[in-house]
Amino acid sequence: MTDKRPDVYIEGIAIDIGWADATRSLTELIFSTTRRAIDDGGKSLDTVDSVVLAAHDMVDGRSLSSMVTGPAAGAYLRDETRYSDDGAAAFAAAVTRIEAGESTRSIVAAWARASEHDVEAVARATFDSFFAGPFGIDELQAAAMRAQAWIRLGGDVAARADAAQRRANAARANPRALKAGGRSPVASYPLKEADMPRFADVAVSLTISAEPSAVRVAGVGQSSEPYWLGDRKLGRLAGLEQAAQRALQEAGFGPAQLDVVEIDGLTLFDEAIGLEAVGMAASGTGLKFLANDPRSNPSGGAAAGYCAPAMGLARIVEAVMQLQGRAGAIQVPRARRALATGSCVVAAQTHTVVVLEAT
Amino acid sequence: MSHVAIVGVGQTPYRRSHPDKSSRELIWWAAKEALNDAGLGIDAIDVIIAGVAPDALAGEVAVDRTGMMGVGKPFIRVNTGGVTGSSAVFAGASYIKARRAKAVLVFALERMGQATSSQQVFNTIFDPVYEKDFPLTTITMAALRASMLMRLYGYTPRHWAEIAARNAQAARKNPLAHLHNDITPEDVLRSPLLAWPIHRYEACPMSEGACAMVLVDKSMVGKRKPAWIQGAASTSDCYAMGDRIRREGATLVDLLSLSMSAKRAYADAGVTNPVKEIRVAELYSAFSSAEAMAYPALGFCTSADGPRFVEAQATDKSLPVFNPSGGPQGANPVSATAMVRIAEAALQVRQMAGERQVDGVERAVATGQGGATQFSTVCVVGAKPNT
Repeated sequence: MTDKRPDVYIEGIAIDIGWADATRSLTELIFSTTRRAIDDGGKSLDTVDSVVLAAHDMVDGRSLSSMVTGPAAGAYLRDETRYSDDGAAAFAAAVTRIEAGESTRSIVAAWARASEHDVEAVARATFDSFFAGPFGIDELQAAAMRAQAWIRLGGDVAARADAAQRRANAARANPRALKAGGRSPVASYPLKEADMPRFADVAVSLTISAEPSAVRVAGVGQSSEPYWLGDRKLGRLAGLEQAAQRALQEAGFGPAQLDVVEIDGLTLFDEAIGLEAVGMAASGTGLKFLANDPRSNPSGGAAAGYCAPAMGLARIVEAVMQLQGRAGAIQVPRARRALATGSCVVAAQTHTVVVLEAT
Repeated sequence: MSHVAIVGVGQTPYRRSHPDKSSRELIWWAAKEALNDAGLGIDAIDVIIAGVAPDALAGEVAVDRTGMMGVGKPFIRVNTGGVTGSSAVFAGASYIKARRAKAVLVFALERMGQATSSQQVFNTIFDPVYEKDFPLTTITMAALRASMLMRLYGYTPRHWAEIAARNAQAARKNPLAHLHNDITPEDVLRSPLLAWPIHRYEACPMSEGACAMVLVDKSMVGKRKPAWIQGAASTSDCYAMGDRIRREGATLVDLLSLSMSAKRAYADAGVTNPVKEIRVAELYSAFSSAEAMAYPALGFCTSADGPRFVEAQATDKSLPVFNPSGGPQGANPVSATAMVRIAEAALQVRQMAGERQVDGVERAVATGQGGATQFSTVCVVGAKPNT
C-alpha cells in the first residue's frame, strides 16, 4: 500500500504491575490504569470516541468478560471492540481505526492477572485437544522446545548467565516492574529458573490520536505462523521476522537506527530469539546481544512482570517511556527510535511489531 | 464515500451440531466458499480477521488458531460476544479503509453444540455475586424485556407469536437455516413456556456453523458483484441491566446502544427515512420480542407504535422485509450470527439470496446484539457505493 495514511501518535500512557492486590477488583485496576493514561495524555475523556481492548475470557475468569471490564476502560456509550489477542495486536487494530478516519481518539487497554487464574492450565487448553493436550504441553514447555531447537541450530549459550543477570538487574532498576510477590513457574529443560518470566498482575492503557504529540507510530507489521509446532521452524520466529520487516519498511529505517528494542518473550531465550528475528542480533547471537547491548529490553522484559495477553502493550508503553525520556533509572540516553513486539497464542503463533519515533 | 465492498460470502449450513467436522474444517468450508464467490485465492488476501466468542461454549480455547490460513498474513481474533461477527467485519473494513489491506478475509465460527449446557455458560456472563444465582440466563433476560415491552407499549403474546411464525416460514426458504418448522402463530402460542411470556417457538435454537466473507477495496471490485458497506457503527452500553431500567431518555427496552449505532451508520449511508429507504432488515433478535424491541431503535417506528407496526407487516407490503433468511430464530450460531446477518443482507443486495431473495433490494441493514444487549452494531449495505 503506497497511499499516504494519516500519522498516529501515542499521547497518554499508564502501566500497573503488581501481585494479588486484594484492595482492588479487576475493574478497579483497569479503571485506575485507564484514568492515569487519560490524565497523562492531557486530553479530556469527552474527546475519546473509541475503545479497543485486549483481554481473554479464560484469563479474566468469566465468559464475555468485556461486558464488565469494558466500561471500566471507558467504553460506556462509545464505539468499543475487544480482541482476544495480544495487546500489541489490539494496538495495531486501533491504529487502523484512526488511519481510516473512523475514530479521532482511542483508548487501548490490556490486562491480565496471573494471581487470579491458573496460567499453565489456560495455556494447556490452547493446544489441540487430541494430539497435543494429552501430553500436558503448555506455553512454557513449547518455549523450552524452542530454546532447545535454537541451541541445535547453533545458538550461542556462552553469554546465557550474563544475559539473565543483566535482565534481572534491569527489572530491579525498572521503577514500573513488579517489586514484590509474583510467581516463577517451573522450568523445563533446557530452561533454568533464571530464564523464566515472573508472573504478575498487569494492566496497561494508552491513548492514541492523529493529533501530533511526542511519539509517532512510524510503522506497524503483523504476521502469523502455522498452528502445529511441527510445521514451524521452532528455533526461529519466522512470523516475528516478517512482522518486523514490514514495520521497519513502513518506518523507513533499519534495525541499526533503533535506540531501544522491547521484545515480548515468555523466557530469556524467547527474548534472545526475538532480537534475532527483528534484525538486531545476528542468528545465534541473541543471548550475547541481550547480555551486552543496552538497547535490548532495558525494562527487564518478562522478568519485570509477565501475564498474557497484556504484554505487547506493556512493551509499547515501556518503549514510549524511553522516547519521552521518562523511563527513570533504566532510561536509554537520547532514545529517538524504538521497536516493540507482541506475540500471542498458540506458542507465539501471531506477531505484531510496532516502530515508534520521537517527534 | 464507500471504500469497502463485500464480494464473497460463504456459509456452512447451520445445524445443532456438526459431529463429522472439526472446527478447522468448518472454518475452511466457509472461507473456501467466500473465496470462490469472490474469485480470489488465499494468496490475494492481505489480512485475516477471526471471530470466536466465549471459548466455554465450544470447550476449545483459541479454536480460531487451529484454522490458520494463509500463514504469514496478519491474523487477529475478535471476541465481542453476540456482536463478534459484525465486529470482525468492521475490523476488516478498517484495515482496508486505512489502506493496510486491499482484500480481507473475515470469518466467524460457533461450536456451541459441544457445550454441555449453553445456558449454564451464558449464566457466567452475569455478575457472580448479584445476578448469577437468580438464575439469570439469556432466556430469562429476554423474558424480562418482553414483559417490560408489554407493560409499557401494549404488546401481547400474539405479537410475539406473529413475528415468530413469520420468521419460521422465512427460514423454510433458507436451506442453510437450522430449523425449517412449518408453524403458525397458534402453534407458537401452544408451544411450551420457557420463561413467561416467551414460548419455545419464539426462541432461537442452539446452532453450529461458520460464516466467512471477503471484503475488498473499491479498486478490486472490477466485475465482481459487490455489496457496498455504506455505513457501519458499534456502540457499547453500561454493564448492569438495572442501571438501564429507569435511565432517563433510554430505558432497558429502548436499546440506546442500537439507536446510537443506527444514527451513525445511517448518517454515513445517507439514510434519512429508514422505513422507505431500507428494503430488507436482517436483525440479530434471538427472540421475537427482541425483534420488536429493535424496530424503534432502528427508526422504523416509534416505541408507542410498535404493536401496530407488527400488525401492519402482514398487510403493508411497502414496509421493509424483516429477516427473510429466518433470522436468528432460524439459526443462531452465536459467534457468527452478527456476521450472518451482514452476509444475508449482502446476498440480498447482490441478488444472490436464492429462494429467499426479496425483489428490488437496493439497500439492507444488518444488526448485531451482544452481552445482554450491551453491545450493538448496525451495518448498512447497498448495491451502489455512497456518492
